Amino acid sequence: MSLAAPLLRSAPSTKAASRKPARPWPNWLVSWLQVGPLALVLLFMFVMPLIFVVVVSFFDYERVQIYPAFLLDNYAEIFTSAVTGRLYLKTLEYAAIVEAITLVLGFFVAYYLTFHVRTLRWRIILMLACTIPFFTSNVIRMISWIPFLGRNGILNDAVMATHLVNQPLDFLLFSDFAVILAYVHIFTLMMVAPIVNSMSKIDRSLIAAARDAGANEWMIVRDIILPLSKTGMALGSVLVLTQVMGDYYIVRVLSGGKSAGVVSGIATQLNAFEYPPAAASSVVLLVIVLALVIGIFSIVDVRKELAE
Amino acid sequence: MMTEGGQPRSRSFYVLGFFFLLFLAFLYGPMIVIFVLSFQGPNGGMSFPMVGTSTTWFQGLLQATGRVGDIPSAFQRSLGLALLAAALTAVICVSAGMGFRRRFPGAALLFYTAVASLVMPSLFVSFGIALGFKELGWRTGLFTSGLGAQLTWTLPFGLMITFATIGRFDRRYEEAATDLGANSWQRFRDIIFPIILPGIIGVALFGFTLSYDEFARSSLTVGNQNTLPLEIWALTTAATSPVLFALGTVTTVVSFTVLTLAMLTIGLIVRRRAGGRLSAERSAHG
Amino acid sequence: MNAHSDPGVSGTPVPPAGYKDAPYDVELVAVSKSYAGTIAVDTISLRIPKASYCCLLGPSGCGKSTTLRMIAGHEPVSAGDILIGDRNVTDNPPIARGTSMMFQNYALFPHMSALDNVAYSLKVRGVPKDERRARAREFLDLVQMGQYAERPPALLSGGQQQRVALARALITRPRVLLLDEPLSALDPFLRERMRGELKRLQRELQISFVHVTHSQDEAMALADLVVVMEAGHIRQAAPARDIFEKPNTAFVARFIGGHNVVPGGNGSIAVRADRCRIGSSADQARLTGHVSSVEYLGALVRVGLIGDNGLEAAALISDRTFFAAPVEPGQAAALTWSDEDAHALAD
Repeated sequence: MSLAAPLLRSAPSTKAASRKPARPWPNWLVSWLQVGPLALVLLFMFVMPLIFVVVVSFFDYERVQIYPAFLLDNYAEIFTSAVTGRLYLKTLEYAAIVEAITLVLGFFVAYYLTFHVRTLRWRIILMLACTIPFFTSNVIRMISWIPFLGRNGILNDAVMATHLVNQPLDFLLFSDFAVILAYVHIFTLMMVAPIVNSMSKIDRSLIAAARDAGANEWMIVRDIILPLSKTGMALGSVLVLTQVMGDYYIVRVLSGGKSAGVVSGIATQLNAFEYPPAAASSVVLLVIVLALVIGIFSIVDVRKELAE
Repeated sequence: MMTEGGQPRSRSFYVLGFFFLLFLAFLYGPMIVIFVLSFQGPNGGMSFPMVGTSTTWFQGLLQATGRVGDIPSAFQRSLGLALLAAALTAVICVSAGMGFRRRFPGAALLFYTAVASLVMPSLFVSFGIALGFKELGWRTGLFTSGLGAQLTWTLPFGLMITFATIGRFDRRYEEAATDLGANSWQRFRDIIFPIILPGIIGVALFGFTLSYDEFARSSLTVGNQNTLPLEIWALTTAATSPVLFALGTVTTVVSFTVLTLAMLTIGLIVRRRAGGRLSAERSAHG
Repeated sequence: MNAHSDPGVSGTPVPPAGYKDAPYDVELVAVSKSYAGTIAVDTISLRIPKASYCCLLGPSGCGKSTTLRMIAGHEPVSAGDILIGDRNVTDNPPIARGTSMMFQNYALFPHMSALDNVAYSLKVRGVPKDERRARAREFLDLVQMGQYAERPPALLSGGQQQRVALARALITRPRVLLLDEPLSALDPFLRERMRGELKRLQRELQISFVHVTHSQDEAMALADLVVVMEAGHIRQAAPARDIFEKPNTAFVARFIGGHNVVPGGNGSIAVRADRCRIGSSADQARLTGHVSSVEYLGALVRVGLIGDNGLEAAALISDRTFFAAPVEPGQAAALTWSDEDAHALAD
């Protein structure tokens, strides 16, 4: 019996040989059809609203009415008002502190997960444990600090039980401390995930080679892991910074209304229907945020990082 | 645990491990407190000690009374919106991800617009959309401006995950399919889609949870029908009873359920591919 | 020719008409490939006779894989034409070329069983389910994989995956089967076994195999036609024996191994290492120096020599000859050969 028998039998239908799946449209058109829905949503729900904000920032207003105009007053107010200046400083202060804490925390959590946890099974379990809170409500995660930090809260009870202090600590809740704690709690995951992604791409033999060359763990972290996880750190920083700078509800609730950032100011103006100054303030913050993001992205190539 | 590999553990492993456990406690501690306090007795307050246990506060959620808005309808609205957002996010992102595999004029511009949408302070987007609708004389609504506002957040996130998923896809599978005569649609339907399906489920999961928990972008755009996070927000400033914690527990349980379902599905697909138990006649490709 | 082929072949409706009369299965006419300025393949021309086993051999980066992918239609050519059985297929999609490719690491669809993998090309062609499954089963039997039909690729060993990939490629009834490093993923033992099976299958089926490899042994063992490539050029295309007996350039002589390349009267000459002898009598010596290495290979012993002029050379001598007069590394020695074994090189 010939091994080739199946091949020598008549084929069922071999018209395929003459079929030429010629594409009627050029490649760029096909691509644009595929990205079309994304582009449309972004155009109508992001780009155009942004243009509206920019345009309205030059408008005049009175009570709840806005009038087309080309005024620079709204901007002048931002740059001359001491109150607004303080809001900007506060926002930058929060951003800087939270960025520093989440970067260090995120780096070591990612480092532990990637290089100390040896089995894939445990790495996945622990990574999931770190990611799950991301899938729950930020508002709920924020308010969950209230029973923790309050005058009669768990933390105060614990501190009192140690007899180190004889009255509850007041600075815990409704303070910068509470705000920063909640920021770190909510946004650290946005730092961990990109860094883990970067670190998992580092070739293990590089570490072995460095160890063979006599490097200790600290040197390996400093000379190999740190430089090679820069992209993840940059991506995480962008997410954390923009989230902190864009927040207004965490700061309002957890500072008890004592602190406020730029966006809090904008939210207040929006509630009072003062659209043009709110728009101007948005544009200024936007420029700061974009400058920051572009600055960070100029160091690393995000698209390449994602594609790999 | 974790002692595979034979080499002795360095001290830094234990130090970092302790540090990592603290981090987990930090992540979960407050959530657990909320969970426990939501079973506070009828006379208990918003912090410890527990004054008995009860499900009073959960029952309170079901009754639209006083300052507590209509929680059950808000929940239904949020769920519907999140499901729609998840489906749209998955479809739009996968389609865009396929488009981005080729170079095309405007690709960089579109990509950076998506990134900008991701990093944009949420309130601006909300404000801009509300302003645009107002200026054009349209009414804002849950499934128009509200959905659109959420998509400006879920789509860029989904796109990043799609890129990572498609980036891992081995193009040789596709070439093999081409070699066997598949046209571009057959290639997508039979090869690419089933292989990247776990990633797509991940994208949909992100779409769901980001929409379900979304607050700032929805705040000015959902019209006169509140979503659940907006109700929670209203409660945060108004409620003085553990009903807030009960709501937190419920919404967290919903998130966990969705997450678990998604993970189980992904796990099932992966296990099946690894060859677990196969029925003799597989019908997946009939 | 083998006994199985005769009655069937003439009656086989292999598409399209004219195929069986063409003297060549594959013809490359001045084919080039360049990527953004760098030239991967530079104006190569090649004819692969009907039903032959052809190996594209060369170091990595020589353009052999690119050439294969151009024949397959997975890589558009920058210039030139590709003919399969007298038909110009340069602009045809892969399926309309009469070729089929077996990928490196096989690229078996991970979410389909072995059977569904093999049946896939019939599925996209719209063949009814029962019919395509029956035919896929025949092809799995052809590669002795019938009993693993329902298994997903993840549960198959490397060798089994290769057989499934082979069945999947053959079911499209190709005129030419293209194999990209088909044996490189296998362990050495299995590699030799699969090598034999590939050759046997090619003879049974009477179609052409174009096989990309960087292994000289593989090419020598399998090929009717060895094509040695370097830096985007074909350096020599000839039957294995001709390549070994008469390498035309120093590169080919060095790459296929077993040769010493030494300066001759005008230009270099190549001498097979197994035709060289280690001697000590100065009058016969062609190359004097000292022994640099001694490798015992079993039946043969390879004696490495560094000439006084710095040239490296080697002699492959039988174990009996060697142990009759053993040499040690460091010892002064000379290499000798007779004139009829020296072969002049082109460059």
